[in-house]
Amino acid sequence: MRALDALARRTLVARPLRTILTIAGIALGVGVLVAALVLNAGLDAAAERSVHDQLGRTDLRVAAFEERGLSAASLAALATTPGVAIVAPELERRTYPFPEPGAGPALPVPVTLVGIDPAADGALHDRQLASGSPLPLEGGDVALVSEALARGDGLAVGGMITLNGSAETGPRPFRIAGILAGVPGDPDPAGRSVVVPLAAAQSLLSTQSVTRADLGLAPGGTITAVTAALERRLTTEPYTLSTPEDLVADLRASTADFRIAIALVAAVSLFGGAFLIFNTMAMTVAERARDIGLLRAAGMTRRQVTLLVLISAGHLGVAGVALGVAVGVGLAGGVTALFSPGGGVLGIRELVIPPAGLLLGALLGFGVTIAAALEPALRAARISPVAALTSRLEQSAVLRARLSWLTLVFAVVGVTGLALWPGAADGGAGLVRPLAVYGLLLGVALVSPFLVGPLGTLIGALARPFLPVEERLTRSTLVRDPSRTALTVGALAVALAVLVALGGMASTTRRAATAWLTDVVPGDALLTAIRPVPLDEPQLADLAAVPGVARLSPIGRFAISVGGQRLDAAAVVGADLLADGRLALSAGDRAVGLPALDAGGAVILPAAIADRLGLPLGGSLQVLAGRQVVALRVVGIAARTIPGAAGEAVLVGWPDATARLGVLGADVFAVRYVPGQATTAAADLEPVARAAALEPASLDALAGTIGAAVDRLFALLTALAAVALIVAGLGIVNTLTMNVLERVRELGFLRAAGLTRRQARRLVMLEAAVLGAVGAIIGVGAGILAGVILAALGAGPGVAYDPGWGNIGLALVGGVGLAVLASAWPATIAARIEIVRAVQYE
Amino acid sequence: MLTDPRPAAASLSLPPILEARSLTRRYRVGSGDVDAVRGVSLAVAAGEFVAFMGPSGSGKSTLLHLLGGLDRPTSGDVVLDGELISRLSDDAATKLRREKTGFVFQFFNLIPLLSVWENVALPFTIAGEDARRGEHAAAVRAALASVDLEGKERNRPDQLSAGEQQRVALARALVRRPALLLADEPTGNLDFATGTEILDRLWASCHEGGQTVVLVTHDAKAAAYADRVYVMHDGSLRDEIRLGRREDHGAGPLIARLTDLGL
Repeated sequence: MRALDALARRTLVARPLRTILTIAGIALGVGVLVAALVLNAGLDAAAERSVHDQLGRTDLRVAAFEERGLSAASLAALATTPGVAIVAPELERRTYPFPEPGAGPALPVPVTLVGIDPAADGALHDRQLASGSPLPLEGGDVALVSEALARGDGLAVGGMITLNGSAETGPRPFRIAGILAGVPGDPDPAGRSVVVPLAAAQSLLSTQSVTRADLGLAPGGTITAVTAALERRLTTEPYTLSTPEDLVADLRASTADFRIAIALVAAVSLFGGAFLIFNTMAMTVAERARDIGLLRAAGMTRRQVTLLVLISAGHLGVAGVALGVAVGVGLAGGVTALFSPGGGVLGIRELVIPPAGLLLGALLGFGVTIAAALEPALRAARISPVAALTSRLEQSAVLRARLSWLTLVFAVVGVTGLALWPGAADGGAGLVRPLAVYGLLLGVALVSPFLVGPLGTLIGALARPFLPVEERLTRSTLVRDPSRTALTVGALAVALAVLVALGGMASTTRRAATAWLTDVVPGDALLTAIRPVPLDEPQLADLAAVPGVARLSPIGRFAISVGGQRLDAAAVVGADLLADGRLALSAGDRAVGLPALDAGGAVILPAAIADRLGLPLGGSLQVLAGRQVVALRVVGIAARTIPGAAGEAVLVGWPDATARLGVLGADVFAVRYVPGQATTAAADLEPVARAAALEPASLDALAGTIGAAVDRLFALLTALAAVALIVAGLGIVNTLTMNVLERVRELGFLRAAGLTRRQARRLVMLEAAVLGAVGAIIGVGAGILAGVILAALGAGPGVAYDPGWGNIGLALVGGVGLAVLASAWPATIAARIEIVRAVQYE
Repeated sequence: MLTDPRPAAASLSLPPILEARSLTRRYRVGSGDVDAVRGVSLAVAAGEFVAFMGPSGSGKSTLLHLLGGLDRPTSGDVVLDGELISRLSDDAATKLRREKTGFVFQFFNLIPLLSVWENVALPFTIAGEDARRGEHAAAVRAALASVDLEGKERNRPDQLSAGEQQRVALARALVRRPALLLADEPTGNLDFATGTEILDRLWASCHEGGQTVVLVTHDAKAAAYADRVYVMHDGSLRDEIRLGRREDHGAGPLIARLTDLGL
């Protein structure tokens, strides 16, 4: 064994470039895998930390389902529920800090106001203070402000913060008692929160209700018993119950798509590494065939030959995995720092390095390395000692790699990943998409060998008029070892396919996320509010009276309960949609359905929900409102409505929303300008809107903001997927270098016969360009197909798949460019071949 | 040691097509220098058949590489058809090789995935010329005919015997009718009969085609085809044996001279 190990090491040392490239390829593949696992753990930790920070020692959270919240009577019922020891109510609303809206040219950045009962809250929550003291138990106009708010607005302990209240109360100053340490569970999206005594918050906002109440159970009390008791006691207002575990699961579910996407990218990167190790070991076996044959002649057994190759792979695997774990942690750190500062896009605030994840990544990486090397190892064992001593060895079929083996490895990677990936078992239907795409990529690996020849000839034909010599020699090189060529092309194609699919998904998601703005919103601009604005608020009349404003159409977003499911809903003015020609119905008559919303008792369903609930046109949607069931007749089904928190919103009219479903007011107003007066009207509307605490934005600006958020998320995935492309690039360097080294004598003769150094260089670069173009064409085709599959299986509802032609162009150019770049070193080797040595080379 | 080549060249009726002037090629081996060729001067007349003989390591292949412009001398010059090939840029030397020379090596150096026709047509292809039609195609056909390989045009090298592969290599060297043919142990990998075929063809291209042939060999029977034989030893020209143009290529006179020289 020691002798075999020494021999294996010498084999690796003999080809330092190939060894380094292969280790780098494994390291990058394992790196992306480890990065994905670290990010996964970071997401889990962020979810748990966030819930812990929000809930503390809470056993059960009771949250109001409707905007109006939970009344004092409900709170009293909670307090007397058997098994409940502590009730910590919270009132949460968004408001503006001083200066009041309209005082300056722009609205101040809003804050989230949280009213708490200091005594009960302290029993369940640990509100960490960076400085100052907690809220006094006796209450008063004192506040705790978050670190982000204090930093952003220059606030300090002992200072004052003035918060705007309801129209009746106006602004009120609070003395800052303490600064809250920054925590992931901050209720404000920007971390700008203010905590005040509940009574002060209720007084400021002119309400007696609360948003939620956290419960601490008495000794012996159980969730089941308390839940059952609450069902009997809380009978007037709809509510939701959540345990900390429920909330963690909800948060985890919200990142499920992202986790699946990074798992897919990780699998592809790892497979790219497998391509590289397979290719490397296959090349090594081909190159060392004569040596192996001689060793066999000298008495080495088949088993020893297999072991020799596997030991070589093992060395590569150990080095690659060790480096890959470090690369992965670094990559995850970089991604977190770049894409998630302060919790940002992903909500990850700190890097969590899971030992089990690292072990899993290392084991998968090493396992894939050995699995990929197994076929070349077994093939090496079949080299006959007699064949090794003949001049015909190079043509021996035993030297040709069997690609079917690699596809088996590809499949095993998928199945193993599925079995071991944290949380994969919870993925359910969400796993269909990545599995379909993975299957497609497997198909790409299988068909690549059949496409390389015809596509290579086709692409070569384009180069023939300009580079006839190089083209002819390139064509012969690409078919010299079809397996090697197909492997190289396959790795590039798979990496590009993922990038193209991600690009297409980004375009489609962007389009889906913004389509409602142009298809559904009955206006040219939107005014957004941070709180529900009652439709009878006097300032709305001022807005409607601005010259050039033709119409102000309120939209209120809320949630409804249907058959125990939470559905997103939106209140709209049907007449406005009808007049504006918005909202296309796939079933039903707009002229009948939209006015019916305003008349009440009607609903327009998104097609996805109609399908899910099995409700046809004319059917009845049974909505739970309080303890009552409200029946709404389906008057239309639309392909796309307004996006809600978890899906398309059910559209109802305002009369039903306010009178029967507990909606307090509008969150958004669509503004339609008089034709030709948009510019002046928008300028005139702006100060009036801000005075009413409404933020104006054009549809274009909103689309840009939404698009930018989508782009940020996809940029992250693309960055990870780009690593797979780098692995493919290393594979190209490896293959081209091998191609050059195998042809040293030929190239030497060609140089002797008059081939210039430039021609020799161009020869290798053209080989690379053809490889790159073939890989890019296959990859782009597969990527478009993968994108279509993803879109068809649920991404981008109601929006035609947009392949993102810019991305496709970039992938084509990038694929060829990467290949040409990867050819730089092998081309240099070819150009520097010394003729004299080459022609004597055997 | 021979130092002045002029008397030998002057004795020929045609002007020299190839000259070596005080040619030295030094290699770095470990911490020391080794002169593979040292101070060689010679001239080869157009249409002449010259052979270099000598033991392994005597520098004959290195000298051939220098004469053909495949390698650059450490000092001294090589003049090929009036041009100082040793002083030309790599590109210019490459083009001169392409136009004036043809090489045949011990290892046939065929491109395995090109057909026989394509291998023979390579010198045209490399020069960017279309060998599929016109006079170039005729030249390829003629070259193949001259080595008796008609009908094998579509074959790949691995479908040919060693002798046939070397004939393909010879046809490739001849196809552009270069002024100078350089052959480095062209029969080293062949049996006697096949080797004789190759040598006959080389001699014919010189005798009938007027091409200059420079042959490196350690086989006296092969060297006996030459008009003149240089005997190399330790990087220098030790002797020059003038055999003259002979139809029978008998090795007897050469072997006798070599015996006289104690070789």
